[in-house]
Amino acid sequence: MKPLTSLMHSIWIAENDLRQSFKSMRHVVWSLLFPIFMLFTFGFRYDSTGSDVQSILIPGIVAMTAMFGSTNETMSIVWDKSMGVFDRILAAPVSSTSIIVGKTLAGAVMGVISAIVLLIIGSALFGVSFTNISAVLLIILLASFSFTGIGTIISGLASEPREAMMLSNLLRFPMMFFGGVFFLPESMPQPLPYVAKAMPLTYATEALRTIQTGGNISIILIDALVLLVYTVGTILLGSQMLMKIMTR
Amino acid sequence: MENAIEVKELTKFYGSLLAVDHVNFEVKGKEIFGLLGPNGAGKTTTVRMICGMLRPTSGTAVVAGYDVSQKPQEAKRRIGLVPDISNLFGELSAKVNLEFMGKLYGLDKKTRRERIDQVLELFQLKERQNDLVKYYSKGMHRRLTIAAALLHRPEILVMDEPTSGLDAQTARLVREIIIDLNKEGRTILLTTHQIDEADRLAQRVGIIDRGRLITLNTPEQIKNTTEGMRALEIKILNGVDQQRWIPIISEAEGVDKVFLAEGKIRILSKDLAETIPTVVNLVDKHGGKIENISVVQPTLEDAFINLTGKSIREEPMSKEEYLQQRLPRSGLR
Repeated sequence: MKPLTSLMHSIWIAENDLRQSFKSMRHVVWSLLFPIFMLFTFGFRYDSTGSDVQSILIPGIVAMTAMFGSTNETMSIVWDKSMGVFDRILAAPVSSTSIIVGKTLAGAVMGVISAIVLLIIGSALFGVSFTNISAVLLIILLASFSFTGIGTIISGLASEPREAMMLSNLLRFPMMFFGGVFFLPESMPQPLPYVAKAMPLTYATEALRTIQTGGNISIILIDALVLLVYTVGTILLGSQMLMKIMTR
Repeated sequence: MENAIEVKELTKFYGSLLAVDHVNFEVKGKEIFGLLGPNGAGKTTTVRMICGMLRPTSGTAVVAGYDVSQKPQEAKRRIGLVPDISNLFGELSAKVNLEFMGKLYGLDKKTRRERIDQVLELFQLKERQNDLVKYYSKGMHRRLTIAAALLHRPEILVMDEPTSGLDAQTARLVREIIIDLNKEGRTILLTTHQIDEADRLAQRVGIIDRGRLITLNTPEQIKNTTEGMRALEIKILNGVDQQRWIPIISEAEGVDKVFLAEGKIRILSKDLAETIPTVVNLVDKHGGKIENISVVQPTLEDAFINLTGKSIREEPMSKEEYLQQRLPRSGLR
């Protein structure tokens, strides 16, 4: 199959996925309402305790939203499988690679869109303004791709939606609490800072925080590199798992 | 085209479970071929291998001259699949669903629009084309599923249990559609567990049970495999459950097989002259009264029972059969 045709297949699959997701409340609730709820809850508490909403909470919540948006979108593969709609794509003259690329693309786009929405809401509510918006967007994009990779791994492991939800929450909730969204990893008791170091969310929040506070650029570059490694690693592993199932 | 589909030694293992066991058959161009068997017999697994959605453990499936394992995209382009469950995107409208499918099958924008209009018109879905599919009735789902399979004008239509779960009226409509599509020159491979459907629609039937193709012939020839066996149909009065009589009658001399078919007791026997009085006496002895008794032509179901030793519809599924039925649908397999 020609590369351009394969790419177009991927784009159409991603477009179809996103179209469905925006029409489905399930995705809106998990990808947007949940982070917004967390923003409200912790935002006003941070304000009352004098902590820095702008430099700690908002970057963390934005990264967390990318995580929820991307993983939820990619895990739609499991829903598609259980509803039989995935068979529709499998029966069509579309390569397995195009299907995986399309699903990955949809996950990353959903992560980026969700994070941007939270960025706008956060800015409106708490007067946050990011100084280097292109760097912020780049980190959000990288983070979204790495979370998409995690979504593909979950989709490869889970045979039905409940199992996917369980697996994803098993990964996402520890990431949410130990990945530096609400508390800085260095303020956590040992060995939690080491646990945090293993999570991609930690690097996404750290990078966004560093951009926000105008910190050391080398920290941002290292974080971006780690996210890139995560992206390549998780997408390769997840794709292999999905490919194995698809070509059974 | 001589053979539209050629299946050679097709075998599929799910772990240690043998789902399809060295199946061989050909579907001739422009014929309706029925793959008949009970739930869990291996029909869906066979179809999924033919459609390139499942890799065979061994053996080959050739579609329109293309080996499905070697050239899956070429083979897929020539098949329109109507799965056993209507698997359209519920959150999208019929039109958007068809747009998406048209894109995947490589139809350009103009052709796509024209074909979408045509199939929506043909299946009387035009008025509801912008409604979300999740609000469609079962019959509309079915029609749209067939419409989606026809969009790229495939030469071969593979229909997995096309009337399963439909009301009688919609099932009749779908059967009429199948006949019309065949008259237009399309080859149709359909799987069914409904004997009358295979009998009514298929020009040739392959009976599959526990993953093995037991016989393959025209429905008439298969019926002849009852080898001199005659069928007797009786209905017993007194409001007694007919099922209760099966073990009683099966003990009678000369009776080869007894089963329930459409509320009547059906008896297969090689010697009806001897069997009829024996059965009448036996029923009388057990306090029953025969409301109706008639000698009938053996049906495909009689042949199925004769060949497999069991009824297609009444036997509960074993664990293996359940797994076999679930596995093809449980994931991306």
